[in-house]
Amino acid sequence: MTVTVKDNAPIRVLVREPGAAERDPGRARTRRRLLEIGLAVAVPVVLLLWWQLAANQGWIDDRLYPAPSTIVADGWTDAADGKLWPDVWATLARVLPGYAIGALGGFAVGLLMGTNALIRAALEPTLDALYVVPKLALLPIFMTMFGLGEAPHIALVAVTVFFFVWIATMAAVIAVPDGYREAGAVFGAGPWQMFRHVLLPASLPQVMVGLRISAGVAVLVIIASEGIASPDNKGLGYVIFNSRQLFDNRAMFVGIIVVAIVGVLFSELIRHVGRLCTPWAPRDRGPGQS
Amino acid sequence: MARRGFLTTTALLACTTLLAACGGSADSGSDRDKSPQPKRTIEAVAGCENAWTDPADLAPTRKPARCAAGSPAAKPLAQRVKITVTAGSLSAEYLGPLRTAIAKGEFAKEGLDVELKQMPATDAITLLAKGQVDVLYSAPEAGMVNAVKQGFDIKWVAGNYSVAPESKTGVWARVKNGRTGDAVDLKNARFGTLVGKTSVIMYPIESVLAQHKTKPTEVSFQQLDGAGVPEAFKNGGIDAAWLLDPIWKDFEGKPEYTFLGGQPVGEPLGGMLYGQNLLAKNRDAGVAFLRALIRTVNTYFAGDYKQNPAFVQELATTLGSKPELLRSVPAQVVDWEIRGGTTDRVQKMYIEGKVVEAPALPEDKLVDRSLYAEAVGHTGP
Repeated sequence: MTVTVKDNAPIRVLVREPGAAERDPGRARTRRRLLEIGLAVAVPVVLLLWWQLAANQGWIDDRLYPAPSTIVADGWTDAADGKLWPDVWATLARVLPGYAIGALGGFAVGLLMGTNALIRAALEPTLDALYVVPKLALLPIFMTMFGLGEAPHIALVAVTVFFFVWIATMAAVIAVPDGYREAGAVFGAGPWQMFRHVLLPASLPQVMVGLRISAGVAVLVIIASEGIASPDNKGLGYVIFNSRQLFDNRAMFVGIIVVAIVGVLFSELIRHVGRLCTPWAPRDRGPGQS
Repeated sequence: MARRGFLTTTALLACTTLLAACGGSADSGSDRDKSPQPKRTIEAVAGCENAWTDPADLAPTRKPARCAAGSPAAKPLAQRVKITVTAGSLSAEYLGPLRTAIAKGEFAKEGLDVELKQMPATDAITLLAKGQVDVLYSAPEAGMVNAVKQGFDIKWVAGNYSVAPESKTGVWARVKNGRTGDAVDLKNARFGTLVGKTSVIMYPIESVLAQHKTKPTEVSFQQLDGAGVPEAFKNGGIDAAWLLDPIWKDFEGKPEYTFLGGQPVGEPLGGMLYGQNLLAKNRDAGVAFLRALIRTVNTYFAGDYKQNPAFVQELATTLGSKPELLRSVPAQVVDWEIRGGTTDRVQKMYIEGKVVEAPALPEDKLVDRSLYAEAVGHTGP
């Protein structure tokens, strides 16, 4: 943009010339998009290269912090040999049902509490108190309740997810503007129609945010719980913690990287589902996509 | 312009980094190229004339090495040295000598400021390897063996204790259908432990399993936390468990549980691990640390220390434990020496359990008896 100030005139006139973005919006958008993609790719690449450099040059001890190339090579070998997949499936088999149970429960309770002030008054103090309990501390309790199998881990994920979704749902329903409810009432909407056509569409975008946050937290929790006690000694958390016990830092870093990938994919899956379910919501097109 | 400059700089930085990253490597690991230690002079120590037993003596009846009470005398270092020690628990009875030495000022007499921190051995072994921790109270676990295999300078330099013959720390099993302990079938049993297949206790566990014609691979090991093991054992979640002091007391005398065997009598399986700091950089401090510890053992833990109620009370206070808890189990046989072949036997288990790759390391790569030999003035082989 160019600004020209004409001196020696009785009135100061500002002349604004259109910038490149205005002269050729299509090209400007493409350039902007390329810049964003370039930055999104370049930042992690540069970080990885620095890490590789530090390992190669001996600035860091590669026995404790293996080089990225070593981690990738080991991970690739483990994946090709089929060593990695049983642990990935074991973790997913705990996260997905736990997440589903927790999300459904949290959504239902959040809706109830968001729509009914009496239920909210009855349950909110108790749930608030339980919310701050470190969820991992519940694992031994769940183990005595459900035994040593998969159930305590699934329950732990479910409880963790429940609270995130419950809070997001309740807050979203409470935040639905009165005007929306009044409009529904004017049109004679019954309780179901009010829920179906007013409360659900208005609150769902915020609920999806809670679901996305809890997806990441669900992965965090299952990894920690598998590190404490993993059924059949399987799961990515077991891989990480067992490798640490064995001073096998290469395997530990492979586990960490795979967990990161699983977490990103899971979170992106929930984001995608959210976009499909809430086409009316403001667009969130993912990282690096403004 | 600014944006173009930023992009150019970023691209140049990335290219430079890429080129450098693809270049050759340097090796800065301070302990990778271990230079041989200069020969140290060992002088006889008054009061410790018989403070040595042959490491090859594995007899359960062997009396542990002892000096006179108050020996070996302190030899203060020229400068005070700070030593960081980590242990997985601070209240366990086996920490009695270490915590008593701190409380009684035995380390201070040597010119050592000892700081004891609680930390899981799995985390502490990395810090020991990096030199951020000086002493790790642990055992030659699989992680330690693997660290040494990767070139880290870590050694097991002192034992801790062996169990009293009457102790029932060890493998306990549920008794099914009125069977006796001899007839317990452990095949396909779910076995609960605190530490899993990576621990030295696999060695005594394997011995017990062998007595019951079972291989470790035929048992499903379940790693649980301290409270989880007895809880799961009680509610049937596991069929067998390694029970520590004094947890086994809860199961003693109950017909549905039986003790199958425990740690070998007379053979310590754990103790002090040193890293590069005390093995190489400041070996004098390493010897002084063990001298203070050995003096504490000879003064307070030479025999059945639980015969003295006042000391049990004092020990409980030092450990943050309860006297009745300490009295409920037999006294440990405190033993700073390391038996010959222990690391060979535990490595055999690790290799069979696939937590350490063959070949096994020779004992001298994992064990260094020369520090406690110097502390008690042992000059022989």
